[in-house]
Amino acid sequence: MSYTVADPRLESLARILCRYSLDVQPGDVVRVHGPATQAPFFAAVAAELARLDAQPMLRATSAALQALILELGSDEQLTTVTEIDRQDSELPDKTLTVWADDNTRYLSSVAPEREATWQRARRAISDRFFERLASGEIGWCGVTLPTQAFAQDAGMSLADFEQFVFGAGHVADDDPIEFWRRQSARQQAVIDRLRPVRELRIVAEDTDLTVDVGGRTWLNADGRENFPDGEVFTSPHHEHTRGHISFSFDATHHGRQFAGVRLWFEDGRVVRKEASRGEEFLTGMLDMDEGSRYLGEVAFGMNDEIQTGTRNIAFDEKIGGTTHVALGAAFPEAGGTNRSSLHWDIVCDLRHGGEVYGDGELIARDGRFL
Amino acid sequence: MSDPREQRLAQVITEYSIGIAPGQLVLIEAPSLAESLVLEMARSALELGAHPRVRLGTEGAQRAFLSEAGEDLLRKLPPGLMTEMEEADVRIAVTAAWNTRELSGIDPAKVAIAQEARKPVMETYMRRSAADELRWCVTAYPCDAYAQDADMSLAAYRDFVYRAGWLHLDDPVAAWRAFAEKLAQLTNRLGQVRTLRVLAEDTDLTVGVAGRTWIGSSGHHNFPDGEVFTGPLETETSGDVRFSFPAVFSGNEVDDVRLRFEGGRVVRSEAAAGEDLLKQMLAIDEGASVLGEFAIGTNYAVDRFSKQILFDEKIGGTCHMAVGAGYPETGSTNTSGLHWDMVCDLRSGGEIHADGELIYRDGRFLPEFAPDLSPPEA
Repeated sequence: MSYTVADPRLESLARILCRYSLDVQPGDVVRVHGPATQAPFFAAVAAELARLDAQPMLRATSAALQALILELGSDEQLTTVTEIDRQDSELPDKTLTVWADDNTRYLSSVAPEREATWQRARRAISDRFFERLASGEIGWCGVTLPTQAFAQDAGMSLADFEQFVFGAGHVADDDPIEFWRRQSARQQAVIDRLRPVRELRIVAEDTDLTVDVGGRTWLNADGRENFPDGEVFTSPHHEHTRGHISFSFDATHHGRQFAGVRLWFEDGRVVRKEASRGEEFLTGMLDMDEGSRYLGEVAFGMNDEIQTGTRNIAFDEKIGGTTHVALGAAFPEAGGTNRSSLHWDIVCDLRHGGEVYGDGELIARDGRFL
Repeated sequence: MSDPREQRLAQVITEYSIGIAPGQLVLIEAPSLAESLVLEMARSALELGAHPRVRLGTEGAQRAFLSEAGEDLLRKLPPGLMTEMEEADVRIAVTAAWNTRELSGIDPAKVAIAQEARKPVMETYMRRSAADELRWCVTAYPCDAYAQDADMSLAAYRDFVYRAGWLHLDDPVAAWRAFAEKLAQLTNRLGQVRTLRVLAEDTDLTVGVAGRTWIGSSGHHNFPDGEVFTGPLETETSGDVRFSFPAVFSGNEVDDVRLRFEGGRVVRSEAAAGEDLLKQMLAIDEGASVLGEFAIGTNYAVDRFSKQILFDEKIGGTCHMAVGAGYPETGSTNTSGLHWDMVCDLRSGGEIHADGELIYRDGRFLPEFAPDLSPPEA
């Protein structure tokens, strides 16, 4: 007998995540953490892990509980890290993070300092986690599931948004894993083209930006660490960026709304900024710390199933035919050295007249690599 | 919409049942459908200066796992469970279900294996509880599935649950404290007894309790509560018992259970329905066919069978016994992966004799043996 869930797409998704993204092995301990409202997904993953002889460590969370703790907790309560908190991070061989907000503004009544205090206390745990992740000792994947809240932010019905999310992951394909292997190869070809490039120049509407990526490692985001996925990215020499870039899409960062953002760079640093919406938050974000005015990432979105902005960066940064740069934290595995608590992705559409030059030579036009 | 009585329940449990102290690690386990009650408990725990950590179960996950897991996987201890049981100062378990028959399609042998695998955790739990290192409380969240099993609407079932906890009284904590004193008088008397004999329809069971400790349950480990229990001598149970109410195990009902004991062990078991499951569970390990607990229900606000053992075993006028693991604090030495309570109604014609003397008739202790245990009127 086999367990079937209401939506066969969830079963397919669980299969892809366990067998392809996380490559679960018999005996693995796999932690799955995300909102308890995603019960059918938890059930589908638990069944799939059981089939693979792996042990699920299900950690269903409550947004209301998290908000309550952040609101009511004393500093001592926010900063106490217990042995069972540590083992949640320490024990699993693989971790699956489920992004599925039921209300994207659920922390809006919590003072941001409270959340920062909470996170600071857990810094040692997360540093160790990322260290082990970088060394390949453990595996991780973050998956975005369709919810009413995400659909609402995208201006879509849930049914349409589900189609969009599952389409972006090729979840309903006959052989989704084969698709992602082919996509990986396609992205690898782009990486091979980008690897020798020292200076990238990106030209689009209100955008003419030059970044130095000489000697940096391009990474292939092919559905293993994010799902859905589809991008190639690296971390530039952060002190060499020059020119300006415009956001092509409305953006949400930690519940804050931005539109019409433009940034100007000199010697890597943002020297001028403007926004038609969210300007009041912009200064705070850029001045967060030493590294927050420098780029930590430059990337190209390569998922052709994602064509429009949904105010969710997990999708927007993967739109096929776009580029994005992130202010703040760089990826050490790419060779990046910029450090910051900020990592804010800015997506720029290249599909209508955009051009990318590699050391002066045209390598992509209208969002397509030549 | 949260029921205002949930806040009262959370307060009674955190302040009275457990008595949460600042700095304690409070583990709260519940199915996610009880989230509103969990939030009230977390709020109370935070206000008391403790560190609440919550483990939420989600609909269908347990069934999905059990359905697909092979035996070797089931034999493994769930990751993290032992540390939780070793580290927690307080554990509050909230029971509730979307469907009490959720596991009915799962081979009971698999459930038994998974249960057996948890034996070390259960032993740690009981050891730390006996040493008062771990305070714990089990409570129930009124949900549709439980209401349906009790043949009640959700609204009526909620009233039943909260009345059973005496939350309709102005000062439930005062009532529970007064009740605790009466139970102490009763357990003093029972502590002097060597042998109990239970007589009811098709039941004539002798249980040796000499030297064992009787404990009065007055809302600390279970809420609602109301029972006195001990761990019987492992080799002295003898005779026949017929349980009046169906025994429910993991969503499977076993009806009209009859057991015969000789020298402390079950030597014959039968049931009108579910006999295979009964025999299977009694055989999962050495201790599973030995009584770990003998108890008398003393909550007279719980007046009906509802198929939830948390309530059924407290029904004023019943006795119950559990095959499997005993509580070390009673003096019981029986260990097992199983702890399965079965309830016997004594309200019409039942009797209990202590060392040959009648002490209990028709569901009530005789006044010369114990004070009146009825809860106060609202």
